[in-house]
Parts: sequence; structure tokens; C-alpha cells
Amino acid sequence: MGLPNYPVHLEDPLFQGFYDGLDAGELRVTVDAETGEFQWYPPEVVPGRPDARLEWRAVSPLGHAYTFTTVVRSLLPGDHKDEVPYTVILFEPDDAPGVRIAGVLVDDKGVTPACGMRLKFRPVSVGDHKIAGFAPA
Amino acid sequence: MMQSGKIAITGVGETPFLRKGEEHVMQMMTRASLAAIADAGLRPTDIDGYIINKYAGHPSEEIAHAIGAGQKLFSAVTDSAGGTATSGDALRLAQLAIEAGLCKHVLVPYAIRSTKPGGVYAFHAREPQKAGLEMPAGFFGQPTYFASMANRYAHEYGMTEEEQAALPMTYRAWAAITPSAQRRDPMDLAAYRASPMISTPLRVADCCLTTDGGGAYVVSSVEYARDLPHPVVAVQGLGLGYNNYPHGVLFSQKPCTFEFPGRESAAMAYAMAGISPADLDLAQVYDGFTISALVQTEMLGLCDVGEAPRFYAAGHALPGGKMPINTSGGHMSGGYVPGMNLLIEAVRQLRGGEGARQVPDARLCAIAGLGGNNHSTTILARM
Repeated sequence: MGLPNYPVHLEDPLFQGFYDGLDAGELRVTVDAETGEFQWYPPEVVPGRPDARLEWRAVSPLGHAYTFTTVVRSLLPGDHKDEVPYTVILFEPDDAPGVRIAGVLVDDKGVTPACGMRLKFRPVSVGDHKIAGFAPA
Repeated sequence: MMQSGKIAITGVGETPFLRKGEEHVMQMMTRASLAAIADAGLRPTDIDGYIINKYAGHPSEEIAHAIGAGQKLFSAVTDSAGGTATSGDALRLAQLAIEAGLCKHVLVPYAIRSTKPGGVYAFHAREPQKAGLEMPAGFFGQPTYFASMANRYAHEYGMTEEEQAALPMTYRAWAAITPSAQRRDPMDLAAYRASPMISTPLRVADCCLTTDGGGAYVVSSVEYARDLPHPVVAVQGLGLGYNNYPHGVLFSQKPCTFEFPGRESAAMAYAMAGISPADLDLAQVYDGFTISALVQTEMLGLCDVGEAPRFYAAGHALPGGKMPINTSGGHMSGGYVPGMNLLIEAVRQLRGGEGARQVPDARLCAIAGLGGNNHSTTILARM
């Protein structure tokens, strides 16, 4: 299995905290700093609360796959033929139901991906950046 | 609720559907519009209203100029995408304008160059949340999004490969007897399995075609339609369903990623039409992908929730089946002018005379139109 290697564009500071978390070995998502409610993906405006401030919070590295797909033909802009196949996971942390984090399945030799499969977060390096990896737990 | 049976689709027209065409969008929209206007028994100078698709990239004055129209009295732009815009939203705006007396004959044109530079998924790359959080993880492009939905659907309801294949094979069977269809070569299970995989479980055969082409229709009052040589094809029911998920989160964060607001649109359309799904003679279902067409088949009430794979595998939507669906091949085999060729086919079936693919005594046809986070259901009736 391969890994997608698409550069992280952080012109938008909204997403910096996610990659800071990966560098620190954590999965971090955004919450409303006042109410503590998850606001994921980080919205430009929290619904009904234009003055709300977001903060990053680490969530459990354990969770499950809401769904998955094994990408055989990459549709990412540019030439990514050598990076397939890889399996994309939409991961739901145990302590943040409904929050889904896109990442890739790792350590998956002999494993058939499935919805609901138990997973554990493990950051993986690709090129000059990290992405979220999820290994069978 | 809007009133049933007040407006009619009086003219339809389209260009050839090609894998790679030579004409630009304005040429195709103009060609399709002139064909639709002639089909309605009108002259370009009779067109006084326009519903423009925001993705077409050309305002109504350019269309009006290109067709040689007369005085424009009304124009509006659909704030939706895909089939919702062309087969639902546009009709609702047209009915509002005609019933208000703002204009008499509304032109709805659309054309697409799927082969344009950057491809059809380029707009997703401009969404900050996709670029910032999904693309680095390799989660990108509609086949990948819909493939992830298909796996979740299969997890919840079950779907074998044979059942999944039955839907594109059904639509190809209709295309095989449709002279204008883009893909008419036979597709059996072996041919389906030979189709390249894009993102599991979706193969190329599970995706809509890449098409350069255009279509258009004219909407007029039912009173005007009665004077035309064609049978009157009226809008009997029309419903639109919306959700408020921005595109950036649409394919990952919805509680159920394959839940479109189709139940809402269908309920509204059936109520307006005063009918139930059992009254339909045929349906056209927006088939961007196998999974989205399966779910919409259920949302229209043509089978039980979770049973669409078995419905198609049983042959119910095939020629001669109890509920013919996508009778010109749909977007997966007929051509991909989003929503437009489905609506045109519905009108032609209700008029009758479509040769080998004609559904006998077709009087009521539903059109399901998916468009991002919106959905439309339109019910056309031969009066």
C-alpha cells in the first residue's frame, strides 16, 4: 500500500492546529472555547455565534472507522500514480462521536478494511509533512 | 404549496452527447436552446424569460443575444447544483414567474464541457476545508467521496458486487436501445468487472460519463401548451429539499453521509401532485454514481429503504420491468448534462413515440435531482 503525498497548504491558519497536533503526536480538533462543543471542521463562523473563538483540543487516539475507501486511481491534482493504492479512513474518536477525521489506514498487512473497525491513531510522515494514520487496534 | 398542473414543458432540445466535443459552452447552449424553442412552436423572439444555471458561466443577456431573442422580461439564477438546479429549482422559478404574469415563455438552457482543463473536480480543490484537511489525506474527488458512502451503505444494508453492478447494467440496457446515448455497448457482469476500479467499491462503470454537451427546455403556461401539436406535459408535482451543510463538510461530517434531502423533496412533490409512488409509470434518477442513484431510488419510494440493490438486481427497472428507470441510459450511459437529459427524456417518454424504449402508455414520470446538499423531485404528467 502507498501513501498520498499532497502538500499541506496552510495559507489558511484555521487548520494549523491540526498539523501542530500531528507533530506533537496528538489528534486535535476544534471546540467552541466558551461552550466546549465540538466545531469540526473548523468553521469560519460558529453557527449563530459570530464572535465565538475556537480552540484546539486533543481527542482520544482510539476510535473506529465510520467509513473508508481504497483509492486505486488518485484524483488529486498533479501526478500521484505512484502513491496508490491507499485506504482513506474517516475516523471517529471514542470521545468525540460524530467528529470525523480524514486519514489513512496503516499497518494493515493482511487486514480487510471495514466500517466500524477499531483503530488507533499514529501520525505518519509523508514528504515534508505528517498526516493522520490509523492502525488496526 | 405551489399549484399543480399550471405550467408545462413545451419544448425540449439537446446537442449530441460526446466524450470530447469541439464546441464551447455558449455554442452548445445556443444550439440546444434553438432546438427547444422550435420544438415548442415558438420563435426566439417569443422567449421573454430565462432561468440561468450559475455553473454555466454565461448570463441571460448572452443567451438572449445568441438566440436572437426579443424583449427580456424576467431572469433568475438557480442557487443550487447538478440535477436540483436543472430539473427542480429552474422549474419552480419558472412557475413563479409565469404565474405572477412576469413573462410567458421561459428558456432553461445548460451545457457542460466536462473535458475542460482542470477537470470536473477542480472546484473542490478551492474549498478551504478540503484543501486543508482532506486532500493531504488523499480524500479527494467525487468518486472517492461517493465510494466512501457506498461502503457505509453496504455496511448498514448489505450490497453484493452483483447487486451493485445491476444498476449500471440496467441503465446501459436502456442506452443500448437509445440512438442518442453516448455509451451503447453492452455491459454484462464480466464487462462491469473489467471496468477499472477508481475507489473501492466504485468502478468507472459506477460513475457518470464525461460529456461535452448541452440541453434546454421551454416552460410555458398549460393554456399555451394545449395549442401545440405535442401532448401537454405538465408539472404536476415539485419539491425541493435542502440541508445547511457547506460543501466543505458535506462528504465527511454529515451524521449519515449518504442521506440527501430526497425524502423531503419527494414528500413535497407527491403531495403537490396528489399521487403516490405506486402511481408512477417510470422515473428518471440523477445517477452521478451508483450509490447516489440507489439511495434516491429509495427516497422516491420506488422500493423500501435499504432494498435498492435488490430492486435493481431483480430487474424491476429494466426495459419491461415494473418501474422503468433512466430510460435513455441516464447520466451513466446516456450522457452527462446534469439533470437536463433526464428531464428531456421524461418529456419525450410522456409525449410517446420513442420507439424501442418507449414505456407503454407512460403518463406519470418522477425525476429525482441531486445537487450537492440539495435535492429536487419533479413529477411530470401527460394531460
